[in-house]
Amino acid sequence: MTDVTAAVPRARRLSLRRRRQFAGVLFALPAIVLVLGFIAVPIGQAVYYSMTQWDGVTATWIGPSTWSQAFHNPTLWTALQNNAILLLSVPFALGIPLLIAMLLHQRVAGWKIFRSIYFLPTAISWVVLGLVAERFFAYEGTLNSIIHALGFSSVNTNMLGYESTALSALGITFVFTMIGTNTMLFLTGLATLDPSLEEAARIDGAGRWRIFVHITLPHLSRFIQLAFVMTVIALFSALFSLIFVMTGGGPGYATTTMEFLIYQTGFNQGDFGTAALYGLILFVLTAIVGVIQLRLIGSDE
Amino acid sequence: MADITFDGVTKVFGDDIRAVDNLSLQVADGEFMVLVGPSGCGKTTALRMLAGLEEITSGTLSIGGAVMNNVLPKDRDVAMVFQNYALYPHMSVAQNMGFALKIRGESKPEIERKVLEAATILHLTDYLDRRPKALSGGQRQRVAMGRAIVRSPRAFLMDEPLSNLDAQLRVEMRLEIARIQRLLGVATVYVTHDQIEAMTMGDRVAVMRGGKLQQVATPQDLYDHPANEFVAGFTGSPPMNLLRAHLENVDTMSTLVLGRQRLEVPAQYAASHDLPDSGAEIVFGIRPEDVEVLTHDEAYDSITTRVERREALGSEILVHLSLLDAGDTNTFVVTDAGSLVARPTTLVAKMGPRADVKAGDTLSVRFASDNFHFFDATTGLSLRHQTTSMATA
Amino acid sequence: MTTSLTDTPTDREPRPSNKQPRFKFGRVVLFVVMIGIAIVMLYPFWVMIATSLMSSAQFLSGGGFSFESWTSLTATIPVGQEVLSSTIICTSSILIILLIGLPAGFAFSKLRFRMSTLVFLGIVSAMMVPLQAILMPEFVNVTRLGLTGGYAGAVLVYAALGTPFSVFLFTTYFRGVPDELIEAGIVDGLGYFGALWRLVVPIAIPAIATVTVLQFIQIWDDLLVGLLFIQNTGERPITVGLAVLAAGRTTSIPQLMAGSFISALPAMVVYLVFQRFLVKGLTMGIDR
Repeated sequence: MTDVTAAVPRARRLSLRRRRQFAGVLFALPAIVLVLGFIAVPIGQAVYYSMTQWDGVTATWIGPSTWSQAFHNPTLWTALQNNAILLLSVPFALGIPLLIAMLLHQRVAGWKIFRSIYFLPTAISWVVLGLVAERFFAYEGTLNSIIHALGFSSVNTNMLGYESTALSALGITFVFTMIGTNTMLFLTGLATLDPSLEEAARIDGAGRWRIFVHITLPHLSRFIQLAFVMTVIALFSALFSLIFVMTGGGPGYATTTMEFLIYQTGFNQGDFGTAALYGLILFVLTAIVGVIQLRLIGSDE
Repeated sequence: MADITFDGVTKVFGDDIRAVDNLSLQVADGEFMVLVGPSGCGKTTALRMLAGLEEITSGTLSIGGAVMNNVLPKDRDVAMVFQNYALYPHMSVAQNMGFALKIRGESKPEIERKVLEAATILHLTDYLDRRPKALSGGQRQRVAMGRAIVRSPRAFLMDEPLSNLDAQLRVEMRLEIARIQRLLGVATVYVTHDQIEAMTMGDRVAVMRGGKLQQVATPQDLYDHPANEFVAGFTGSPPMNLLRAHLENVDTMSTLVLGRQRLEVPAQYAASHDLPDSGAEIVFGIRPEDVEVLTHDEAYDSITTRVERREALGSEILVHLSLLDAGDTNTFVVTDAGSLVARPTTLVAKMGPRADVKAGDTLSVRFASDNFHFFDATTGLSLRHQTTSMATA
Repeated sequence: MTTSLTDTPTDREPRPSNKQPRFKFGRVVLFVVMIGIAIVMLYPFWVMIATSLMSSAQFLSGGGFSFESWTSLTATIPVGQEVLSSTIICTSSILIILLIGLPAGFAFSKLRFRMSTLVFLGIVSAMMVPLQAILMPEFVNVTRLGLTGGYAGAVLVYAALGTPFSVFLFTTYFRGVPDELIEAGIVDGLGYFGALWRLVVPIAIPAIATVTVLQFIQIWDDLLVGLLFIQNTGERPITVGLAVLAAGRTTSIPQLMAGSFISALPAMVVYLVFQRFLVKGLTMGIDR
């Protein structure tokens, strides 16, 4: 008589934990592959190609001397300098939205409408914003109209036409474009702040300023961090559209930043190798800023 | 046949945390088994291993005779009611209840029929179209149960389903759950930290502590013959009084020495218990309801006490008494964390609601001689000759 | 020291609460300031509309009103086609980003595997890589794969660039989903795949909306990728069309503005429609 219970299934090979881990890997795989293939691998490639003479088709190996050569190029230094100067606009790109967010947080009548309006420019392409900015700063543009209206009829600016002022015009436009996103970010942060904390501080006798410094700011630090990172990345990358449309990098190289230089070197001059090199420099710069930000504002990642 | 067998099941977290230690337990088909114990005793982990949500480190788990160690939850044919109900927020009550059936591919009319059936049993028919967020706590709890019932599983697993309800609702639902279980006749494993739930609902109760099974028996058995100090101090409300004292044996007479007071141990206990040698320490247990307050002094077998505190519950009065001249006797109390903590000698006794006592009074009490309990002073195990209700399979 | 028994709290003026300021005046000032800011923020729209409602000649001579720039717009640049291209590119990219990001977010938050934290950090840190840093190799790779010319190359690049952020947002969002919910689904008979799509995703609508809006704006408004990775002029997105137009010498500024306005519309509409999800999605994403 055969024992029916012998049909009891032997415990399957894969334990429960293994099965879960396998599913985890499987689900994450497409993302990993995509990021590896389109972001990580190109970084490695850029390292290789930066040391070659490359026109996009053939790459002739030269070696690390390309790096020392590149650093002798004054254009590179101009571009780096431009990036550095533009970093000065970051405090404004953070401070102004912070102020606006606090204003919005006061919940004036119709604040929701204001919030939508303030974010609306973000939806516009930087290309378009650049075109509008160009109109603003032009000789016959709005800026001059305002100046004239204020009574300084003899002053006529052409900010984009002069080396000394073009970068500032770019910076101002950049701050404008960042207002929308950063305001939204900070507003979200303020919304998550527990009002009872502020009330407790009030009862303890803290004044407006003290409350801001000791309660509001610390809570917002995570958001400020994120905004800082996003702003700098935009500065080192998205600014391209503005430059392309407003100045084309000029006058001269006055508004050529790293991100624009890369495009120019690669696609206008056909020097892919040097462009790849510049790309790596940009990458290192961004990484440095990221690390500094971690140290400065502190992080729990 | 859907009986459940834990055979030496152990669960180790990390390198050395034994959440469940060598658990051997059997649940018969249709039986309502309650796993009870303080938090951290391993009862929830045991339940989750049964559901297939937690990996079994060693030992064998079988359902209906088949080994289930590495079988996926969905293939075990068990249904679970979670402590926080875990209702699907984006589905209606009817959809929540019918979800498992839908996954199994049952036909729409079939699903509707079963859902309606379960909803009727649980009085949920008026709420079928609502979303969970529009329901009260009690209603959500019933939906969670409905979700389990609808599947007609081999076993119900319930993880402290009543702990998020207010007291009154809890009492109602206790009866409901017991009623439904009897109606459906499905093996049920019910986890709780509340010993009252355990005692009122279970066919059998398994008491756990620190991952180890202490005793499994019917509620009455657990109450009358606790296997060790812990179980004794855990069951009953208020819990059993446990006193640490010395035993003196002269000829065939045993006496409990409580400081300068003495209590004779009736001869029957020497026969039924393994009492230690003379002079040894022993733990003596007596339940509050077995402590009789005397209206007049009886020198023979009474103990003199002083009232420290009284608690008026409406239906009765609890008095906390301290033993006079107690010497190095002290009482043990089971804390919430599951440990036995020594307290200065106090006894809890129950008195009628109109009893005229106040703090500072001197009272004579007598212990009901049929209900003495003795435990080993070192191991805590009951000294009673073991019959059937011990902590094995 | 004697304390006055008559110095009751009601003798002093009550402290103002958060909502009701002491002086109505302050609120009015605030309101005026906000209107001022609104004017500044709305300026680009004003410029676009005002400038576009002139003819080229009128613009050069200083003023006037005409619909001419709008009517002759399609003759200068194929607006309809370019808008269509942008739409196709945006939709495809976002679809891929969601289809890849949701399972990954689920994996990193609920299906922990060995080194999953490390891998997660790796993906998230990729957010900080500017496109230009890897532009050259990226361009050559995509060309070698034969994907430039049509939409495919650009879509893949956009998807790759948008994945880190979406994975970050979804992972943090899913961390807030109670484990018990998923366990209930598993006991009910779902596998992990089913649990993801039938249980977690329906709850994640705010996060999905956030990713969709932000990525839509980013991709629709992008210039560089569209410029380089889509060689086919017939498949150009609108941003590239505008940029090329702006670079031209015979460009009519009013027409440029008209085109700009059309380009700005879809992103604005998408934002306005989805904005209530944005705040919720961002809050959940950052809070954890």
